[in-house]
Amino acid sequence: MAIAESGYDTLSAEELRRRLEEAEDTLRAIREGEVDALMVRNPRREDEVFTLEGDASYYAFMEAMDLGAAAFDEENRLLYVNKALRELLRLPSDHVDANHLRAALDTASRERLVSLMLDAREAKKTTEIAVLVDGDEIHLLLSAAPLQLGVNRGLAITFTDITAKVRAASAEASERAAHSIIASANEAVVVCDVNGIVTHANAAVAAIYAGNPVGQAFADVIRLILPMTGLLQADDIVSLAISGSSVQGIEATVPDAPRVKDVLISAAPLRVGSDKASGCVITMVDLSQRKAAEKQQLLLMGELDHRVKNTLALVLSICKRTASTEETVDGFQAAFSGRIQALAATHNLLADNNWSSISIAEVVTAELDPFVSSAQARLRVEGLDALVMPRAAIALGLVFHELATNAVKYGALSTEAGRVQVKVTKNPGEAWLGIEWLESGGPAVRPPVKRGFGQTVITRSLQYMASGGAEIEYPATGVRCHLRVPDEDVVRS
Amino acid sequence: MIDDAPGAAPSEPLKLVLYIAGQTPKSMAAIANLERICAETGPGKYTVEVIDLKKDPKLAREHNIVAIPTLVRQLPVPIRKIIGDLSDREKVLVHLKVGG
Repeated sequence: MAIAESGYDTLSAEELRRRLEEAEDTLRAIREGEVDALMVRNPRREDEVFTLEGDASYYAFMEAMDLGAAAFDEENRLLYVNKALRELLRLPSDHVDANHLRAALDTASRERLVSLMLDAREAKKTTEIAVLVDGDEIHLLLSAAPLQLGVNRGLAITFTDITAKVRAASAEASERAAHSIIASANEAVVVCDVNGIVTHANAAVAAIYAGNPVGQAFADVIRLILPMTGLLQADDIVSLAISGSSVQGIEATVPDAPRVKDVLISAAPLRVGSDKASGCVITMVDLSQRKAAEKQQLLLMGELDHRVKNTLALVLSICKRTASTEETVDGFQAAFSGRIQALAATHNLLADNNWSSISIAEVVTAELDPFVSSAQARLRVEGLDALVMPRAAIALGLVFHELATNAVKYGALSTEAGRVQVKVTKNPGEAWLGIEWLESGGPAVRPPVKRGFGQTVITRSLQYMASGGAEIEYPATGVRCHLRVPDEDVVRS
Repeated sequence: MIDDAPGAAPSEPLKLVLYIAGQTPKSMAAIANLERICAETGPGKYTVEVIDLKKDPKLAREHNIVAIPTLVRQLPVPIRKIIGDLSDREKVLVHLKVGG
């Protein structure tokens, strides 16, 4: 003990009593664990501190650890911060106190630390915090456990730097997200490295390339034909994108593609974490449907042009023929507009059916409606369900209009007693579908003295093919007309 | 161990010296407890010097320090010693003759 050596015999009784009380108080404090260090004199007669807790070796051990560590007492006062933690958090190399540690942590991290210390009094607990050190965010795993330091209860907390692990997990999550984005894209997506070698390709690429393109040069596996001068090739698109220029929406043909041969190709540089492109991303959008639609549209426009020309030619012909047979302007107007209306009626029917086939019954009904209803007893139709193509439908429309007009003016439909029968005949070995127009019960028929437009239309309209045509007869009992629709224009008889 | 302090004027701050031994738990506790007591009793009442005997063990001789931590009331004389981590606030205040 380092009690000063004094000549006790020179001291007053009061001083002796005071020293005795002090010695007793020291012994009591040691016994009751109120002190944890004593001053001792070594063999060289030098004073030195002797710690009762043996914590010096404990601190020496902590100091040598690579893991950041701090010790706190029962009141959560900071006792000690080891070298690894001082270096990790850039704390002063000596005299580290709670303020230094507090300043190194943001509010959220401080709250987590305090909460951890409260929870870890009974058992080991862990938490994660993020702190900014020299402008860089580092992630720390804090692990706290109760600690007995001699007579003192405390808490030891280790600080493990898990930044690399967190970043790796984050990078892995990002990569997984990027993969799933690429995988779920409807467009074909191909990722190339700086050498133009394919590193990723999603499922949609299978429609453009039958094999696995990964590991091969993009320009080798996907042969593109670009609709330009031939100056731009597939490898140019890849080179442009890798050098930092985006290529937007170029239409291209992939002749070797298993399914999708027409694509809209775009390419963009791939930048991962830096300004320099580390490859490129190429997307190819399926243009097959659009191309097919464009082809269909062109086809339809050609067809429309053809039909308009045909119709105009037909109208001109009707006009000319009507003018040559009618003697008055009123007569021309009535006959011409009647024929144009007949043409329009068939057109309407065809338009309603998208210019596909229509039934003969529909044509007859449309043309005869202005004169006689098919519901009346005067008109009888039989077996007219056969469908005919537009060419035959237009011809039949004009023919029935002429027959009906003639019947109303001079024939069976000019009297109440007159009857018209329309029926279909089909004989084996004939390359046509026959249609009979039979009038009866009308005034006695006399053959026309001169050949009018109506007669010309009736006999010529179906002659566009050798198997088509018409004959008209004028027996006194009623007009008879036999029409032949070529089999080629009959869809269903 | 309660002594009057006839030599000190009431307005003069008490001069205290706290002896510690590096960062032992009791030394740290003593610093924290003394800071709290000083804060509670108001500023200007004490001047405190902290001496770390780990750094300079020879300084223990001045006040015959044996056990650490120990708080010494240097002024007013006679000097008083309070051994331990100062967690018993009432005992500390009595020894310092404050509020008593």
